[in-house]
Amino acid sequence: MKKSIGINWIGLGTLVYQEIQRFVRVSVQTLVTPWISALLYVAVFGAIVGQGIADVKGVRYIDFVLPGILTMSVIGAAFAHSSSSLYIQRFIRHIEELLVAPLSHTEMILGYVIGAVARGVVVGLGVLGIAVFFGAAHLSDLFIFLLYMIAISAVFGLVGVLVGLWANSFEQLSALNTFVIMPLSFLGGVFNSVDMLPESFQTIAQWNPFFYFVDGVRYSMIGISEGSMMLGGIMTAALIAVLWVGTFVLFERGWHLRA
Amino acid sequence: MNTLEIKNLTKRYGDTVAVDDLSLSVKKGEFFGFLGKNGAGKSTTIHAITGIARFSEGTITVSGVDVVKDYRLARTKVGLSPQEFNVDMFKTPREILYFMGGYYGMSRAERLVRVDELLEQFGLTEYAEKEFRTLSGGYKRRVMLARALVHDPDLLILDEPTAGVDVELRHELWKYLEDLNKKGKTIVLTSHYLEEVELLCSRIAIINKGKLVALGDKSEFTSGGRKLEHTYLELTKEPKAV
Repeated sequence: MKKSIGINWIGLGTLVYQEIQRFVRVSVQTLVTPWISALLYVAVFGAIVGQGIADVKGVRYIDFVLPGILTMSVIGAAFAHSSSSLYIQRFIRHIEELLVAPLSHTEMILGYVIGAVARGVVVGLGVLGIAVFFGAAHLSDLFIFLLYMIAISAVFGLVGVLVGLWANSFEQLSALNTFVIMPLSFLGGVFNSVDMLPESFQTIAQWNPFFYFVDGVRYSMIGISEGSMMLGGIMTAALIAVLWVGTFVLFERGWHLRA
Repeated sequence: MNTLEIKNLTKRYGDTVAVDDLSLSVKKGEFFGFLGKNGAGKSTTIHAITGIARFSEGTITVSGVDVVKDYRLARTKVGLSPQEFNVDMFKTPREILYFMGGYYGMSRAERLVRVDELLEQFGLTEYAEKEFRTLSGGYKRRVMLARALVHDPDLLILDEPTAGVDVELRHELWKYLEDLNKKGKTIVLTSHYLEEVELLCSRIAIINKGKLVALGDKSEFTSGGRKLEHTYLELTKEPKAV
């Protein structure tokens, strides 16, 4: 008699465990490196340069800039995780272990995204730990802080899965980070208030989702928001939904996955 | 019931037909040889059975389960030992088997027992904690075989299982596969070592340019004292250019 299989929880758990093991195994590269980068950013921009900058929006510059640096670190970690994991697994055909197993595409995507969220959150918490040494570890709303860390990691975990599927070389793998993620992060108010930008850039910032990511984290940490929290929340949720559907469709078609 | 049933399988890559209207079945408990030149369509057929590739037309069932309609259940019934070492090279044999068991939904307790059992059976206990990349070709091949068996599938597919393996280990693996088959495991074997196929398989199919060109008992290929190799070369030879 045939027996149908429901959700493969053990399979999903195993994939998540593998993804977490993957970044823990090379923690100097995956965790220590972004923490050192964040430390340098906080030390140079926040503590040293910040001494010469007047308060921004009524708070010390270091307090203002820290949520941006933290967001940038979380974005980089989540994106790097899922993009490199999937790309390398495709490259060495290790992905076939998953393709021959009774895992659905939903479970596979979830596995990569949860791995990316785990790495993003660990990196984010580490940056928060660094902030303690600079007296800049404020948490105005812990729930929103965690929600934003998870949501931002999920967005870039999904973007990473898409890039990991698409890329056919290491150069392509880094292209999105170089040409899209980094510029939009810097223009999204990581180091400055939107008010400091020229008028044309201020308009662009209103359409830049990175602005809302930074703004949401900044609100959760120091209680200051430059944009609409409601719009930011809707935009983030919509991005997750659109990216999820796009990723799922590509997995279902077997694009760059199943010959 | 046949363990493997392929009906009218066709796989196209654009205008290229890799597998052309292939139909064959493998009975329960059979040791089945699946032969063909490089690019003949063997791997594509194996990929279609295991879910690594999609196919354009036809149906495939494993132990009566459709590999497309009920793909999750079907995949629990197939184990694949591929030609290439498609594993995380930094994992140990124990980890590779443990993770694979997890993907197949085996509980932790089940996996712990099964992994130890397989490590023992394949003489891998001593190497269980060494990274895969540090193992010799023969031991790597054993890990691939053990991984294919971790969930105790109905059908074991071996794609060039003794490629790059020394003579001693090859004989050891043959013995192990024979024993496994005697215990009732259905095995599909592809190999370029035709003496291996002649020794192990009871029925053989030959595929050429995506089409099935011969299917029958081993005796039909080796009648009159002929070697399987001669029959194979005749069936797959290219017409001479004029």
